[in-house]
Amino acid sequence: MSTPSEAPRLRRAAAVVGIGHSDWVRDWSRARAGEKPADSYGYGMQAFSAALKDSGLRREDVDGLIAGPTTAYERLGEVLGINPRWGDQADAVLSVVQACSAIESGLADVVAIVYGNDQRTAGTQYGGPQAMGGDAFLSYVYHAPWGLTSQGALYALTFQAYKNARGMTEAELGEVAVAQRGWSSMNPNAIMRKRITVEDYMASRYVCEPLHLFDYCLINDGGVAMIIAEAEYAKRICETPVFIQGIGRSDLNRGATSLEPRLTDFYLPAQQQAAARSYAMAGFGPEDIDVLQVYDSFSVHVPLALEGYGYCAVGDAGKFLRERGIGPGGKLPTNTGGGHLSETYMQGWAHQIECVRQLRGTCGERQVPDCRHVHYTSDVAGKAVSLIYSR
Amino acid sequence: MNTDTAQTPSPVLGLYDRPMWESIRKRGMHLQCCQGCGAWQYPPGPGCTACLSENVVWRPVGGGGTILSWVIFHRQYLAAYPAPYNVIAVRIDEGPVMISNLEGDTPSGNWIGQRVALTYAEMPDGAVLPRFTLAA
Repeated sequence: MSTPSEAPRLRRAAAVVGIGHSDWVRDWSRARAGEKPADSYGYGMQAFSAALKDSGLRREDVDGLIAGPTTAYERLGEVLGINPRWGDQADAVLSVVQACSAIESGLADVVAIVYGNDQRTAGTQYGGPQAMGGDAFLSYVYHAPWGLTSQGALYALTFQAYKNARGMTEAELGEVAVAQRGWSSMNPNAIMRKRITVEDYMASRYVCEPLHLFDYCLINDGGVAMIIAEAEYAKRICETPVFIQGIGRSDLNRGATSLEPRLTDFYLPAQQQAAARSYAMAGFGPEDIDVLQVYDSFSVHVPLALEGYGYCAVGDAGKFLRERGIGPGGKLPTNTGGGHLSETYMQGWAHQIECVRQLRGTCGERQVPDCRHVHYTSDVAGKAVSLIYSR
Repeated sequence: MNTDTAQTPSPVLGLYDRPMWESIRKRGMHLQCCQGCGAWQYPPGPGCTACLSENVVWRPVGGGGTILSWVIFHRQYLAAYPAPYNVIAVRIDEGPVMISNLEGDTPSGNWIGQRVALTYAEMPDGAVLPRFTLAA
């Protein structure tokens, strides 16, 4: 068995030196007008160019490339014109982890991680007969004969069992969407910027009861990229490098197809172990975190994360949301860009650049003062990953 | 859309799923039970996920279960399932969790913890599905 202290070699081994993204606010309008501004590779290219410019590096300095899951690795490298000495393909959080691993082990010095997704204009289906993700997660397709294909419905089932077990209310869950809209109202890069109230939330229609429309992420086009460099090099070339300080992971695979880890423990054991590993590596705990970023394809992820990663006692997430708060003025600023619910649905990638922005102190009106440590968590299908960024 | 002839969404039919669906078609659902440790499993697979024994045999289930969670779809995703309709998660008495639908009367309050009994529904296109009704 591994103990939490066994993986500290990656601690501050690498740092983010460049961030970039496509203009998804403009492209949202264009897509709604029937245009197709770019394909997934085009969005990736826009994001990469912006990140490279932000880093001040030349394309020739990039010797590692990680493609996100929605583009083919080779074609993305071809479009970007990069022949790296190391390459891979991964989701948002694992791209960061694998970039750090490659850098620490000497396989690369400067890694670009690049994501592009034309899911809106391509009509990608996350529910229904063509539901995406079944190749990776059998639960996304196995229950189709009974009418269960949408990923939102999986989280609706989770929340129904969770609120029964913990006593949380729909109105308390509504605090998540309200808080994130509060943040996005101060983010010029957010697609949904109109503030809402808990009353608006409760009056909104159910998509899959007990989840309301505001509990669901957006579906939009866009791209995100980051440049991650070896730590000493990063310090030389960048005024405000953002270091990867802590990493932890724990996966729940047993019983996953029949949804048991979602419906009985609500991912808690995985989150607690991922949290312990990442806090041990970082050298501090949740009390030292200034900003939390949670993968929020559905609002339900947020209360699960608050409990699982130690921000409140198990069973207290509803009270925490109501009394301490995660929105502007709240005790634990969470998803400060607006998250998937209100800023952009970049499958966790935009959360990474929001972590960096908060630590650089460049968030303008929504900047959290004296931000030193930002925690990103994801728990997609019970695979809990905990990532801590620090100045 | 004419739901009378809508096709029931096809099940995943991997190598180990076929005997289960054959038993469902005969209205006597069988699941795999491990000869080594006695664990039942769903979905079916190449061996026992509890102890890795490959000595698993098909046995009929008793048909009882308890609701773990439920949802009501208010949006239609599939031709065979016009909204609103329910989906339930049931822990069957043998241990595994199954996703299904609750037919007939539904509880007025909380569905969680309600006892249910296995039934077989014939869909308009002839497909047979294992579903549940509230236990008498």
